[in-house]
Amino acid sequence: MSKEALAARTAALKEAMTRENVEILVLFGNNWHADHLRYATDFGIQEGQGIALVREDGSITLILDDPAECERARCETVCETIFAPALVQEAKRQLSRAGNHNIAAAPYHLLPYGLLHGEKDLRVADGAKIVEHLLMTKMEVEIAAVRKAAALADQGYAIFRQAARPGRKDYELVAEMESFFRAHGVPENFMIVGVGGQEVRGMAPPGGKILKKGDMVTTELTPCFDGYYAQICRTLVVGEPSEAQRQAFAVYLEAMEAGIATVRAGVTAADVAKAENDVFRKYGLGEYVTSEYTRVRGHGMGLFPDQKPAILEDVKITLQAGMTLIVHPNTYHPAVGYLVLGDSLVVREGGHELLCGTKRELFSVPLQ
Amino acid sequence: MRRGLMAWDPAEVPASALADRLARLRAELAREGVDVFVAYTNIARGGSVWWLTGFTPYWNEGLLYAPAQGEMVFATALSKRVAEWISSVMPAGEVTTTPRPSAFIGEHIARDGAKRIGVLELDDFPAGHAQAILAASPGVELVDVTQAFARVRGEADAVERLLLTKADALAQAACGAVDVASLHARDFIAPAESVARLGGAEECFTLVACDLSASGAFVRTDSMGPLGDTYAARVSLAYKGAWTRHVRSFARDAGVQQSFDAAHAVLMDFAQQPGEALGAAVLRAFASSGEVVNWVAEQPRGSYPLAPVANMAQSAAGLSTAAPFVLDVELKIQGRRWIGARMIGL
Repeated sequence: MSKEALAARTAALKEAMTRENVEILVLFGNNWHADHLRYATDFGIQEGQGIALVREDGSITLILDDPAECERARCETVCETIFAPALVQEAKRQLSRAGNHNIAAAPYHLLPYGLLHGEKDLRVADGAKIVEHLLMTKMEVEIAAVRKAAALADQGYAIFRQAARPGRKDYELVAEMESFFRAHGVPENFMIVGVGGQEVRGMAPPGGKILKKGDMVTTELTPCFDGYYAQICRTLVVGEPSEAQRQAFAVYLEAMEAGIATVRAGVTAADVAKAENDVFRKYGLGEYVTSEYTRVRGHGMGLFPDQKPAILEDVKITLQAGMTLIVHPNTYHPAVGYLVLGDSLVVREGGHELLCGTKRELFSVPLQ
Repeated sequence: MRRGLMAWDPAEVPASALADRLARLRAELAREGVDVFVAYTNIARGGSVWWLTGFTPYWNEGLLYAPAQGEMVFATALSKRVAEWISSVMPAGEVTTTPRPSAFIGEHIARDGAKRIGVLELDDFPAGHAQAILAASPGVELVDVTQAFARVRGEADAVERLLLTKADALAQAACGAVDVASLHARDFIAPAESVARLGGAEECFTLVACDLSASGAFVRTDSMGPLGDTYAARVSLAYKGAWTRHVRSFARDAGVQQSFDAAHAVLMDFAQQPGEALGAAVLRAFASSGEVVNWVAEQPRGSYPLAPVANMAQSAAGLSTAAPFVLDVELKIQGRRWIGARMIGL
């Protein structure tokens, strides 16, 4: 990302640290939870683990336990980078050298045990208050990156539709997606799929299923740009959709549009989920919006593809301008199986800015 | 984020092979006076739990609990529906879905009456999980069993060798599929990703050193630029959880490419002679190719699927001779940087 964008993030981090009276912020990350580390350093960690020490003067030290990743970080980041096979010990050494400071860390529950315990236990507070809000509520420079990621998601779904043909295996579709994304500069993409009919209860990594006539093929694509993820969820049918599939899709479309129409600064995540779920309840499908059949009705996205707030009827987090979300009423339908539909958007004061441009339809791909 | 083929084929990974690994680990832990075993896993640290269960999370995290006897338990906060899928691709262990996996494991430990809990990589174990285990099983002692695990893990069985052989073939094919006519690194590397995943790679990291005259650092697609006169592709991939790497260097000049290909051929034929130290073998093998600038050997280490265990500056004491390893070599050939890597000892 641009130097200006990183500088804006660093300034926001410093301001939050000052507000919470924190002198050193310890940020931990790996390829699963890369978001905290990336926010401060702009390094997208791929292998091993890393710890960033952010000081109140804005200087940052990135410690990595993989030598090749360390070499890459020296090319891709501007902060001081240290290779330390014993990551935790090096971080402790650096913190001890800094003296008796007010230290906070995030994500707190994932912090290495050895960092907090040992001969001399470090007193480290939970840094969630400093970081979580920054990760959820984006600046315009960050939203611009999410917008680009959403455009890549749209382009990616067009490739997916071209790739989905009878006789192809599910992982072959992934191969086409990933090749497309690498050629377009996307280093990471969260993607799961579902292939089949009424027996399909969710999406997962591909298992080698062969696409055949009548199958519904579901996917969520989640490419990133400058580390920021955006997602699109769509369903297609191999051949012409059946009447049952069309009728089921109409419910999901109505639910998604009801959810999206609710999104604006000041409403809660629960309000959005309720709007989606009320549509299902209206059609006698209330059972299928429970945790038995669905995980969430959408979620936040940013430097982590599945961040807070979860869109659920019991999540009372208030949406704020600058949050980026996907609204997706994905769930099992008793007549046709698991069906997905979802668009990414930005929460704005009076409503929202839609980021995905792919048509909201149950796509059909030719049999030949 | 795993998104390639994830499936269990009993012909490739028989449950009996996993049972044998667990038995060997239990015997080693018993010698250490440890009652039970706990390991943490996520997509970056899947190596140990995969070795015991055949499964790597495609997302999120989990904890594996191996009691002194009986079935292992894999606890994860993923949904019940995902747990059903995990059960279908995980040959060993029971899957439990719970919002508090570590508390669930702690309660199990308390019920089993275990006192000394062997934790893999205790220093790196997530503190939140450690605290939840301790809270749910008061009076237990957490013991680091990283060395004990390494002693058992250091021996690759026939099942692992077969998977690594397939992974190695895929990585070679992927590196061979790069578009050498491309001017930009992204176009150069994209076909490698396609070949790897079409061949069934569960995960694939495709990186490029865009201009070897400037740097030997391999970068991801978001940092890639135009290719220089010499450049290299690095493919790291997992086939059914077994990881390997392959690196090839390329040159625009046909003569330079010939010397690069010759060095790669040496790497492909590399073998240690009986009793020969790895460092000595590298120097001998590449003596006529160019000057050896550095070499690194990588093997699975704890929860990491591949990690450096030896290099030119250190002894190879950390290298297990009972398992294949990835050998990464950097040469200077007529003043030009050349990098190659492949799996050795299959």
